[in-house]
Amino acid sequence: MLLARIKEALDSLYDDIQETQEAPEAAEIETVAAEAAVEEPAAAAEEQEESKPEEAEEPATPPGPKETDYQAKGYHLDVELDPDKVVTAVEILNRENFFIESITGVDWIDDQQLEAVYDFNHFDELCRVVIRTRTDRNNPAIPTISHIYQGANWHERETHDFFGIKFTGHPNLEPLLLPEDADFHPLLKDFKA
Amino acid sequence: MNGLLQQDLNQETFILNLGPQHPATHGVLRVKLEMDGEYIVKAEPVLGYIHRMHEKMGENRTWVKFLPNCGRMDYLSALSYNHGYVAAVERAAGIEVPERAEYLRVITVELNRISSHLLWFGAFVLDLGGFTPLLYAFDDREQILDLLESVTGSRLTYCYFRFGGVYNDIDDSFITGTRELIKRLRKRMPMYDALVTKNIILIKRLKDIGPISKDMARRYGATGPVARGSGINFDVRKDESYSVYPEFDFDVPVYEEGDSMARYMVRMDEIEQSMRIIEQALDKLPEGEIKPKKAVKLVKPEKGDYYYAVEAARGSFGVRLVSDGTNTAYRLKLRSPTYSNLSLFDEASRGMLLPDALALMGSLDLVIPEIDR
Amino acid sequence: MGTQDIQPPIIHFANLDKILSLGRANSLWPMTFGLACCAIEMMATGAARFDLARFGAEVFRPSPRQCDVMIVAGTISKKMEPAVKTLYDQMPEPKWVIAMGNCAISGGPFAFEGQYGIVEGADKFLPVDIYIPGCPPRPEALIEGILELEEKVTGFRRWPRVEAK
Repeated sequence: MLLARIKEALDSLYDDIQETQEAPEAAEIETVAAEAAVEEPAAAAEEQEESKPEEAEEPATPPGPKETDYQAKGYHLDVELDPDKVVTAVEILNRENFFIESITGVDWIDDQQLEAVYDFNHFDELCRVVIRTRTDRNNPAIPTISHIYQGANWHERETHDFFGIKFTGHPNLEPLLLPEDADFHPLLKDFKA
Repeated sequence: MNGLLQQDLNQETFILNLGPQHPATHGVLRVKLEMDGEYIVKAEPVLGYIHRMHEKMGENRTWVKFLPNCGRMDYLSALSYNHGYVAAVERAAGIEVPERAEYLRVITVELNRISSHLLWFGAFVLDLGGFTPLLYAFDDREQILDLLESVTGSRLTYCYFRFGGVYNDIDDSFITGTRELIKRLRKRMPMYDALVTKNIILIKRLKDIGPISKDMARRYGATGPVARGSGINFDVRKDESYSVYPEFDFDVPVYEEGDSMARYMVRMDEIEQSMRIIEQALDKLPEGEIKPKKAVKLVKPEKGDYYYAVEAARGSFGVRLVSDGTNTAYRLKLRSPTYSNLSLFDEASRGMLLPDALALMGSLDLVIPEIDR
Repeated sequence: MGTQDIQPPIIHFANLDKILSLGRANSLWPMTFGLACCAIEMMATGAARFDLARFGAEVFRPSPRQCDVMIVAGTISKKMEPAVKTLYDQMPEPKWVIAMGNCAISGGPFAFEGQYGIVEGADKFLPVDIYIPGCPPRPEALIEGILELEEKVTGFRRWPRVEAK
């Protein structure tokens, strides 16, 4: 089945992380499944990308692609990665003929991080894959995927417009929806008009 | 000196501005065309002339206060956008919708789809130079708008859905009116077919113009009639069935050629399929409540992020919702189908004549406020 | 408020002015300037059911050089404002502006505190003659707006006014 194939292929990206860590400690990459996050306040603090080991109140879930409940959330696979692994993951999805649905930016001002969420879906078999990546808020940089999926060209320009995330390697990162001379990023949480 | 004389004059290109105010651009779209004579070398759409900050308003407005915004993104099929947003919040907050309300939602959304396709049909043929089908299409569309106005209260930018159902019930005059409308449309569609679709001028203008391959549609994320005209069998109503669509028996028109004529035929066939869905829904309409049993006083979605996709008239409309448990969204991303459809215009229009590029743009069915949100 | 400096005509003709203004009022040529949702209601007004042609205004010209009235239908964003001003300046005298819809009157549903993208109303930079409220206004409202403009141009109203009962 497509979902199982993708999960296995993406799991290989986590191999180098799994080798360098002990299993029960808080994972550097971990799930953002909502159900867990709501109950455990400690788990909310674990949503940071620093690799300092933490005392986990419950056994930490191992890093890797997470299967989510489609009826509850709307997507099948949730993959959280470092920015430099995103291009490899997208190449895997491209080989399996996924199409890009959207790229979203989220401003987590409390964590001082900006998140980019990539949505992919498949024409033949419904399988929605979500790739997330977080980067530092003061100097956000994520490698571009517009050479693999040309549709990402506009999505990345829009995310740059609204949040200021620099997509390194993008052919022209000019404002798309804002005026050409705009130098503000409106959807940041501390934006004042 | 030598360089000047050896300059090949044939290679000079000039920039032509298909400005923000143009009868054929269906809104305020500006396209910077680099032309080599009559052929397009590069086409760069410039957006943002109607950017109305919907996503920022999603963060400032409470869940209920955002409902009027949904209808104003793509005003021609506003009910689908209502549906996407309302269903995303219902998924996040776990609100159940009674069955009669789901049926009403489907009936009104399909009526809206027919009216959107009729307006596209009129405007598209107007772009190509024929003025009369526009008047006939608007006449049919007015009948649909009368029906929808009797239920929802507005003609164009509807705000009919609420969390957990709809707010107004239909009566017998709506049901008889809809059946009359379907009878009338079933007589009009063969007229359009004979006079417009089989017209040799339209065939020459559209056949083999603007080919979009399957791979191009996949790389750009094109959905809806643009993808179905290129042979991709993807319809959110069938593949990712939501609401009560699994109970209806309808086909998804798919054409293999990938040219503008294929996209035109997909939309004309979709009108007929929508009429089939409406007939079946009217036959099966159950009695019952249209609002949820437990009144939804305060909408409090759980923390986390959610995605919901519906099939709007132009493609797959997706709502990505990041909620932090308060009464406003933390981040509301609206994935508009026309945004992805238009992004392939640059690659698809290389080397085309300018009128053919306009035919391609019309067949993509653009509504610019949906792109700019 | 937008202003314009027009020199009033030096020579006034009494009855000829009346005839000229009657002619102008009954054959207003609007410019196709639909920006957003109100544009669809403008198209519906020009279509067969509501039929703006009865009042002489069915010739929607895309070129500003051939129009007399600019119906601003839709939200004006800050990126679009210079284009609107340029189009208005390109129209020849005498010219009028109708602000159709809530967005053109005062920003409409998109004016909120902290907004960064739209101009709150066409009268911030254009002299507006007639305001038609609604979101979107019904085609009958647009026709009433055209009739009000006719009254402003000629000084009297040819069509009966509809009274609310």
